[in-house]
Amino acid sequence: MTDPLRPDDADLPSGVKHSAEYYARPRPPVSLFGGRGPDRYMYGLGALANRLVPVLGGLGPGHPPLPPSPGLRARVERVTRPVPDVAEIVLVPELPEGPLPAWQPGHHVDVVLDPDTVRQYSLCGDPGDRSRYRIAVRRIPDGVGSSRLHALEPGDVIGLRGPRNAFPFARAERYLFVAGGIGVTPILPMVAHAHRAGVPFRVVYTGRSRASMPFLDELPEGADVTVRPDDEYGTPDADAIVRDPAPGTAVYVCGPPPLIAAVRARVGPENPVFSERFSPAPVVDGREFEIRLGEDGPVVTVPADETALDVIRRVRPQTPYSCRQGFCGACRVGLLRGNPEHRDRPTGGSPRGEEFALCVSRAAEGAHIVVDL
Amino acid sequence: MTADATHSPLDEPDRLVLHARDVQFDWSRSDLHWIPNEPFATHVINVLHLLLPEGERWFVEVFKQAVPHITDDRLREDVLGFIGQEAVHAEAHAGVLDHMDAHGLDPTPYVEQIAWLFRIVLGDRDLPPGRAQSWLSTRLAIIAGIEHYTAVLGQWVLDAKELDAAGADETMLDLLRWHGAEEVEHRAVAHDLYTHIDGGRTRRTVAMAVAAGALTTLWVRGVRFLIANDPYLKGRIDGRRPKASWALRDGRRGLIPHVGRLARAVPEYLRRGYHPSHHGSTAQAVAYLALSPAARAAESAERAATRKAAP
Ligand code: FES
Ligand SMILES: [Fe+2]
Ligand SMILES: [Fe+2]
Repeated sequence: MTDPLRPDDADLPSGVKHSAEYYARPRPPVSLFGGRGPDRYMYGLGALANRLVPVLGGLGPGHPPLPPSPGLRARVERVTRPVPDVAEIVLVPELPEGPLPAWQPGHHVDVVLDPDTVRQYSLCGDPGDRSRYRIAVRRIPDGVGSSRLHALEPGDVIGLRGPRNAFPFARAERYLFVAGGIGVTPILPMVAHAHRAGVPFRVVYTGRSRASMPFLDELPEGADVTVRPDDEYGTPDADAIVRDPAPGTAVYVCGPPPLIAAVRARVGPENPVFSERFSPAPVVDGREFEIRLGEDGPVVTVPADETALDVIRRVRPQTPYSCRQGFCGACRVGLLRGNPEHRDRPTGGSPRGEEFALCVSRAAEGAHIVVDL
Repeated sequence: MTADATHSPLDEPDRLVLHARDVQFDWSRSDLHWIPNEPFATHVINVLHLLLPEGERWFVEVFKQAVPHITDDRLREDVLGFIGQEAVHAEAHAGVLDHMDAHGLDPTPYVEQIAWLFRIVLGDRDLPPGRAQSWLSTRLAIIAGIEHYTAVLGQWVLDAKELDAAGADETMLDLLRWHGAEEVEHRAVAHDLYTHIDGGRTRRTVAMAVAAGALTTLWVRGVRFLIANDPYLKGRIDGRRPKASWALRDGRRGLIPHVGRLARAVPEYLRRGYHPSHHGSTAQAVAYLALSPAARAAESAERAATRKAAP
């Protein structure tokens, strides 16, 4: 006999029944514990709410609406080339008033070159020095953002947002830091911090060749640092890099995606592994199509290499979204007309036929769809 | 631990970028009574699965309505991250409802009441513009109050070594801790949003008082409902009807949050100068997320998808 607590047919896919749709039109509460009548307790809660709504409704807001937050502007103080392809840029506040916002190892800033050209760079200076930020930018062939940053000169002014933290550096008993190429930037302040704090750590720094690897001279003298250029050691080998970290070792990895994937796959379940978050996948197999925003609204064209969300946010900046990968459902809007190409993976059974996920879903070449927005 | 004093800033990584994780849980190997031989404690925690799917779906709807009123870029980013996290939480817990259902415990009657509460009682109302703004503020205040509780519960489950010792199901612990860690990670967002949009104290106080009272009674009703409808218990544990004192007992044993801790959350929240960042540990939350099997699998899948798509 099988265990009665483990029926064999228990493997229903998750989210199939108790979905948002299933509960979309709840009936008025009937008694939960025997009897068929209305549920007195729930009706009581409803009545309490109905009594409170007018009372609280009469309360004005605690303060008037707040003005938009001012952006941060920074002046380029210095640009140097630690290695041929990398620009090291030191930024100071545009107006010499007050310190720059505080940051921690792992933080990055958004550099706003213009509203459509925003790039993220890790802060790689000294968090104790609030008078300047340092970033380092590798030139990407055909990269719009990186070539504009490489063209900066002392005195130029750029917009900044942040700093923000997508690579949280948290307390651990010991650390393994793995950096690949320009991915060394967020790692540098982490290493410096661990070194100063006397927390044991090991650093592995990989890159194409020594001559292409910036900031080799900034890794602490006498510490456990392994420099592994590909031209001396071959392509990075996760086994050799990770070895078997002692219990309590937190692994921080930053570099090219294959290095991150290899290290993450190699770190066992006992060791926490951190890697920086990046922007969502680029559009693949996209075709240009049109979306009308509401029956009488404007029509926007979604180019083959952009998402509907990107385009719509330019005309409706307040459009909600979250994951931009098609799973959270935050960007779903009602679909009024047209034949979409659904590319989302809705959690919880969305009424797919009637909704459209702006962040990933598309339509055929030249097609026209109408959404409720 | 070496050099504690200089290492201390890292106890609180700040300005986190919040992002949803596309986690998946496979319940096919989990028992209905996922803390072995502790059906009472199991069902006390199971009430969360009954409350959260509809509750968090409602958070998402209300927060989406608030987005256009935000004038601060960083807060807007936080709110957008929060929305995605809550949306995934709701569906992850809904998966547990399906799992209960498959084991002969159909949660629909209870959850439908919760749906009624959030969708009808706390749903959109036909109000003139000024009142509509006020209704949005009231609902944001309710969410801020509940989020103090979810942060307290999240920190509790991250700390609850007793659940491991009791042999609790690993998948369930991962769900609770992944969710708890994200709650700790985003614990300031609802408070900051309410403060940004309205900030009124009276509304905030009334909202917390009502939310705490309602949550308490809904929780008790949830435990009663689950035990009454559990096909293996049929209303009795070891031949006895459940007693309120068992909650104190299991709280002391560390299998469920202690009632005293939950009660303290109200004065803590109403104290002047309250800020969610003063309670709970972001470092612990991010460390768990860096270990969580579900969060790690989600991140690997996401990275693989991006690498495939990259030109
Ligand atoms: S933003 Fe998450 S599904 Fe589109
Ligand atoms: Fe949540
Ligand atoms: Fe939350």
